[in-house]
Amino acid sequence: MSTLLNISQLSWQVQNKAILKNINFNVRKGEVIGIIGPNGAGKTSLLRCITNQNNILASANVTGNVQLKNRAITQYSAKEIAQHFALVMQKNDSIFALSVQDVMKMGLLPHKSLFSLDSDHDKAQINLALKKVGLDQALQNSFNQLSGGEQQRVLIARALVQASQVLILDEPTNHLDVYYQHQVLQLVNKLNITVIMTVHDLNLASLYCQRLILLNQGQLICDGSPEEVLTPKQVSQVFGLPCQQSIDAMTGATQVSFYLPETSMHTSLFSESLDE
Amino acid sequence: MNKVTTIFLVLATLVILSAMAAITFGPANIDSAELIACLVGNCQNPIANIVIWQVRIPRVLVALVAGMGLAIAGAILQNTTRNPLADPYLFGIVSGAGLGATIANISLADNLTVALPLAAFLGALFSVIIVVFIAKVLQRMEQLLLAGVAVSFMLGSVTQFILYFGEPFATNRVIFWLMGSLARVEMANFYVIASVLIVAIVTVIALHRQIDALLLGDESAASLGVDVDKLRLLMLGVCAALTATIVAYCGGIGFVGLMIPHIVRQLIGVTTLKLIIGSALIGAIFLIWVDVIARSSLPHAEIPIGIITSALGSIFFLFIMYRSRAIN
Repeated sequence: MSTLLNISQLSWQVQNKAILKNINFNVRKGEVIGIIGPNGAGKTSLLRCITNQNNILASANVTGNVQLKNRAITQYSAKEIAQHFALVMQKNDSIFALSVQDVMKMGLLPHKSLFSLDSDHDKAQINLALKKVGLDQALQNSFNQLSGGEQQRVLIARALVQASQVLILDEPTNHLDVYYQHQVLQLVNKLNITVIMTVHDLNLASLYCQRLILLNQGQLICDGSPEEVLTPKQVSQVFGLPCQQSIDAMTGATQVSFYLPETSMHTSLFSESLDE
Repeated sequence: MNKVTTIFLVLATLVILSAMAAITFGPANIDSAELIACLVGNCQNPIANIVIWQVRIPRVLVALVAGMGLAIAGAILQNTTRNPLADPYLFGIVSGAGLGATIANISLADNLTVALPLAAFLGALFSVIIVVFIAKVLQRMEQLLLAGVAVSFMLGSVTQFILYFGEPFATNRVIFWLMGSLARVEMANFYVIASVLIVAIVTVIALHRQIDALLLGDESAASLGVDVDKLRLLMLGVCAALTATIVAYCGGIGFVGLMIPHIVRQLIGVTTLKLIIGSALIGAIFLIWVDVIARSSLPHAEIPIGIITSALGSIFFLFIMYRSRAIN
């Protein structure tokens, strides 16, 4: 597989606090990569740097390189970046009553010039993308009235209309129940495009990602297959809880389960007593 | 033909019919045969000819473009700030125009026909520059609206201070001007407002996809390649120029920018292209008829148009609040 993205010596410091510290890794075409780590590990910040959001790489606080197809990402215009990366955010409510069709049309933007109107080809693309995510009947529905899982699927369909090569998802399973978590990640897996996503649930990340990148306090701790990354030693060190690794009998995926050791079962995880 | 196109065609027809009907209203007694004769250039009565071509037609045309402009400015501002309560008036435009008009009134006794709208325009532009400057420093949209309200009160208090110590006749003139009126408009005013309106509409049509992308949040828009800050500043500038031009000639006409886009969203849709076309058409119809009420409801006097729009607007909003309470 050819290398699509190259991240080298990427660091981001804000007021003496390191958000990211010397991050290095490559992304190959077609990979599904999960970025995992505790809250504040730098997962979303890493996504922002990869896509050069708000031209963040030009900021004096950020050093290092991000290359897309062997060319510095800072040399791409915002429109070109949007043609390469499609972003699916955590929260997507609108105060106005947008329809699914309105949201889908946004995906056409990076490929449209000023004054351009929608063509029949655009409409066909929108219908096809919605069909792929199983929402082809929902074109006229109100976007705000869809369930969280359906909204995520519409945004993934929008990303398909955007026709970009890399799909970036920031916590796509947040606020979703178990059924929709699996539905959304299965869908992402079936698309056959390069995917980089931040995931909180380690077992979901293991089940649906070929490769995991473990971050802690802005540092890349481990980069490899779920089996290599989710070792009890590394995971317990990063998350601060003991855990054990197992292989799921049904799926064959590496799974981790956390536990409280006997001695701390009745001990508070808070450093200070809550009674005070 | 789909539903939206049909609604636009019906509304466009209503705009034309409203404008034609509005020409028939006025204190001068001109019957319909005379009116048609004057319109086709075959007028027997020179006074009727002057009344129609120099008073009524300019007035109806200014009402048409001012209604379009105020409604479009509100629609653009609401979509770019994602705030359905955003209104050009919240950005201190009227207060700035009021301050400009006050200074012109107090310091210049002559040439007010040219100086008053010019000073009002400069005052409105001045207030917008302060608001945009604060927005650039704060870099937050929700604070932009608060900054606008603060600037509005600040300029309002300066105006009141000047008026309090000013000459009573000049004070009266400013207060009446702030209430809004189309009584003194001329054909030249129509050309100026229409030119700014065309530039604004063309700019919005060119950028309608970018503005739509903002509706799902700044981050989502940026991921689609939109330079969010630049787009918002450009749109704020367009709204300021549009509103300042209208306010300069017509005085304070509140609530149109707030109320009309709200109706269009319920009737037609929320995306920018539908919203500005719908707002332009309904805004034009609205202001043409409000002006008809303003000039024909009292026998020997006019009601300032701003009083009627504010009264209707506030009743409309109470109704909307009551209806949403009933739905909830």
